[in-house]
Amino acid sequence: MGTRMSLDPRTKLYLVLCLSTLGVAVTDLRLLLVILAAAAVAVKAAAGSILNLLGKLKRFIFLFLIIVVIQSVFTRGGTAVLRLGQINIITDTGLVRGVQTLLRFLIVLVAAALMATAKPRDIIQGLIQLRIPPELAFMVTMAIRFLPLLRDEAVDMLTAIQLRGVNLKKIPLLRRLKMYSYLLAPLLISVLLKARDLSLAMEMRAFRAFPRRTSLRTLYLQPADYLVMAMATVFAVAVAASAILLS
Amino acid sequence: MIEMSHVSFRYGRGDWVFRDLSLTVERHRCTFLVGRNGSGKTTLGKLMAGILKPVSGTVLVDGLDTRQAELYQIGARVGYLFQEPERQLFAPTVWEELTFVLDLFGIDKKLQEERAELLLKQFHLQKVKHSYTYQLSRGEKQRLALAAVMINNPAFLILDEPTTGLDPRRREALAEILEECKAQGIGMVVISHDRKFTERLADRIITLGDGGIRDGY
Repeated sequence: MGTRMSLDPRTKLYLVLCLSTLGVAVTDLRLLLVILAAAAVAVKAAAGSILNLLGKLKRFIFLFLIIVVIQSVFTRGGTAVLRLGQINIITDTGLVRGVQTLLRFLIVLVAAALMATAKPRDIIQGLIQLRIPPELAFMVTMAIRFLPLLRDEAVDMLTAIQLRGVNLKKIPLLRRLKMYSYLLAPLLISVLLKARDLSLAMEMRAFRAFPRRTSLRTLYLQPADYLVMAMATVFAVAVAASAILLS
Repeated sequence: MIEMSHVSFRYGRGDWVFRDLSLTVERHRCTFLVGRNGSGKTTLGKLMAGILKPVSGTVLVDGLDTRQAELYQIGARVGYLFQEPERQLFAPTVWEELTFVLDLFGIDKKLQEERAELLLKQFHLQKVKHSYTYQLSRGEKQRLALAAVMINNPAFLILDEPTTGLDPRRREALAEILEECKAQGIGMVVISHDRKFTERLADRIITLGDGGIRDGY
């Protein structure tokens, strides 16, 4: 694992906003690749390594391929790459659109991974210092924090089903759908119960008891944060200008 | 028989939980795993059930290597009760929880009902037969999870802290159920901190600590 660059969560949020906005707005494939590379560099700097992230993205390969195929098949126009009789199945325009969509997904996912490198407590504090109401900041952070717990619960449930001798791969489709619908209900109930318990616990600790909230710790932007934000701004302007020129 | 030979295990690149551990658990016996928090009891239970795979060494469940076998194949031999029963209850009602797996196997409705009724009786769950699972008390959830695990007639049961949150009466009821299972010839591995419960049921006590095991308290 390489060295990590310690950045303020607000700087990370700014980077995520810049990169994902560019990813959605830009259409040129070369520029999308540049944005993806920039997002990867940012994650490498903040997390020390991108191997972990690449490992996680591996799980989405099938989904990515489906996206590329759907975009390729359902986009009209362009020269046919694959034809079935008189019908164009895949066209060059469709392929470009498919790769575009794939790159956009990757940019948003890689950029969002930046926020995972920040501590939940710091994210709340950062959002509050950005004048986001503490209730909202707290909700956002809790939502992020509970995602891995939900995943663990879902994994445990699937493990428990298999440990009852059920071969998940061999269940007929209708029964499998019924099984997954069964899984969703306890997960949803568990989320609601957790939310209720958490809100009770927060109220017992006098959350929202006073109109104004003070903090023991305050985040201060460091020179490195200003430098990274300036670089991100220059990068965003340069990419936007290139996109206009190329179009 | 569950045979662990020269098993080493660690989570990711963390510290070793076990190094070169060998252990045999026989059927018809009730083996208790005891030890401090974090000594690896749950990890050992999960290794025996094939939920976790050893980094090196082998775990054989009735001759089936857990590193090569699919979880469902081990599940046909081993029933595993998680520390939190909520995590293994998925059907909306108690009745559906019991018939759910049988239904997936395509077993005849009449046979499903007979089996489920028998388990409801054995685990004292008749009164809550049509209740929603999330409405049950901790003890009822624990018994339902155990009943659901028993639906396959497993040869082994691995129970992770089954007495947590149970009052003395419910603990007694659970002990009676486990004694019945033992009489049926089911091999049991119970992870527990409850000394009285352990002394009542254990044929063998294994204490875990410092990455190793020893017999007795």
